[in-house]
Amino acid sequence: MAEIQLRNVGKRWGSFVGVENFDLTIADKEFLVLLGPSGCGKTTTMRMIAGLEDVTEGEILIDGTTVNDLEPKDRDVAMVFQSYALYPNMNVYENIRFPLKVRGIDPATHDAKVRRASAMVELDEFLHRKPAELSGGQRQRVALARAIVREPNVFLMDEPLSNLDAKLRVSTRAQIKNLSHELAVTTIYVTHDQIEAMTLADRVVVMKGGVVQQVGSPTEIYDRPANAFVASFIGSPAMNLMKGTVSAGTFIAEHVEITGLNAPDGPLTLGFRAEDASLAGEAQGQINAPIYTLELLGDATMVSVRVGEALVSVKADKTFRAAIGDTVSIRIPSEICHLFNAEDGARLGG
Amino acid sequence: MSSALDRSPRSVIILSSAFVLLWVAVASFPFIWTLWGSFKVQGDFFSKADWRNALWGTRTLIETGSTFTGAGYDGAWVQEEFWRAAINTLIVVFFTVIISLTFGTLGGYALARSGRKYAFGLLMIALVFRAMPHITLVSGYLLPFFEWNLWGHLPTSIIVLVAINQPFTLWMLHSFFLNIPKDLDESAKVDGCTQFQAFRHVIIPVMWPGVITTGLFSFLLAYNDFAVTSMLLSEENRTMVPAIAGFLGSTLEEGNVMFAVAAVVSATAPLFVLVMFFQRQIVSGLTAGAVKG
Repeated sequence: MAEIQLRNVGKRWGSFVGVENFDLTIADKEFLVLLGPSGCGKTTTMRMIAGLEDVTEGEILIDGTTVNDLEPKDRDVAMVFQSYALYPNMNVYENIRFPLKVRGIDPATHDAKVRRASAMVELDEFLHRKPAELSGGQRQRVALARAIVREPNVFLMDEPLSNLDAKLRVSTRAQIKNLSHELAVTTIYVTHDQIEAMTLADRVVVMKGGVVQQVGSPTEIYDRPANAFVASFIGSPAMNLMKGTVSAGTFIAEHVEITGLNAPDGPLTLGFRAEDASLAGEAQGQINAPIYTLELLGDATMVSVRVGEALVSVKADKTFRAAIGDTVSIRIPSEICHLFNAEDGARLGG
Repeated sequence: MSSALDRSPRSVIILSSAFVLLWVAVASFPFIWTLWGSFKVQGDFFSKADWRNALWGTRTLIETGSTFTGAGYDGAWVQEEFWRAAINTLIVVFFTVIISLTFGTLGGYALARSGRKYAFGLLMIALVFRAMPHITLVSGYLLPFFEWNLWGHLPTSIIVLVAINQPFTLWMLHSFFLNIPKDLDESAKVDGCTQFQAFRHVIIPVMWPGVITTGLFSFLLAYNDFAVTSMLLSEENRTMVPAIAGFLGSTLEEGNVMFAVAAVVSATAPLFVLVMFFQRQIVSGLTAGAVKG
């Protein structure tokens, strides 16, 4: 059982800021996902919790105890590495058993624990093999089994799925979700893939440039992004963002005129999600522009137009067909619009 | 590659095979010649009348009553007590390898894992020392060794050989360690190891081919060394290579040169055995990291 507290944690290398002022309490048994583009400090944050990276400022507490100066081995955490980091000279059984062995746990219990862990990730048939003789997915499961075998307080997973192919990623994702539910252990999961974050997390932390952008449940982050960066990072496709100006409640940009907005006059960024908007009859929508591209997705057709520099997409019916260059009209009711400050991208209003 | 070779015309195969055979013959000739000649008498192997005497053993037959004689070996090993030199070599080589590898693995690992800037500087200094002729170290040490009464003892030459060898082992092991992903150390640490346990239980087992290869090169350096051992060891403490040189110098009495020939063969034979025994590790060590595996 473990509650993790990060109190204004920061990491610097000389003048370079890796993570700044990270302040968060992670509840016991919570599944927390750190999400962001590469170089945003998410892995550094996890490595500081693991003890693999020194903390420059602030405090990390696990169950109320400050762990800043503890070695990784004394923090009772288990970590799954992006590269799996299996020990190539040991077979699967020895790999999974290794944490028990070095921690001096009663050898009589080893076999039962290793077999239980390997059964949880369906590796029973491969126990005698060397890592080199396994596929990527199997190696990943060995790494998982090695992490769960000694029932640690905290799981740390550093992009565990990024080396797997797309299909395997989906099934392993499901397995991780199931495993974390079954084991009920505090889990911190680092990823740059927003779909993994949405599907796995109890709470998501979106980071950029070492700074936390938003903390919230997947729904909150999707429905009420705190700023334009989060809006552009979450969702597939990401939220459409257009730069324009508001005067008397009307947003105006090239090809665009949206009325009924509750916003102060001046420049701002307006966003909406592709699935919230719809196609309208001729010249009846708020955007009237030539089609830039048309993508058939199977369950829907994605229609894109250009507004200034931005590409704006709308999810249309799967039967919708048109030629590139045809003029299309898009309906954007004011309720679906998200407004962001034109300069710092912060969310405006409710 | 192999399929392309399989398709090449017969003439190319014959030509290339002939070239390889010729090369092997030329390369191995001195060894075979010495091995054969070591069982002859001086009058044959160093014959002024006809070099073919060395092949047929004409003088050997006249002098000993047989075309082969073990006189050279008997003289070297029994009469001149070459076995003492062999034991000295064994001691010098053993300790040189053990000490170089101990410091080399620890130091190479530390330098490979250190993020500090001076790590690279240390390696550069090591390279400079490696590039110096061995004899410069010896001449520097010679006077203090005399004054402190350290001259002529085996440990002294072991220390100097380690000093000469260490930069090389550091460099070689350092690059082997660089090829081992840092994730392995970190994974071991999270799994419950101290830094040293991670090194011992996880890194060294993976490094084994590299350690063997480096150890072998250290072995060869110490085994074949002449500059250090000939200058720093007294006559009774000599290792094999200076002892052979001593035999070659003693031409006053007919036949003594053959002691040198027999000793050369005796000193070379273990190397063949050793390389053949470790060839798999050497090859995997030399090519480790050449391609991503």
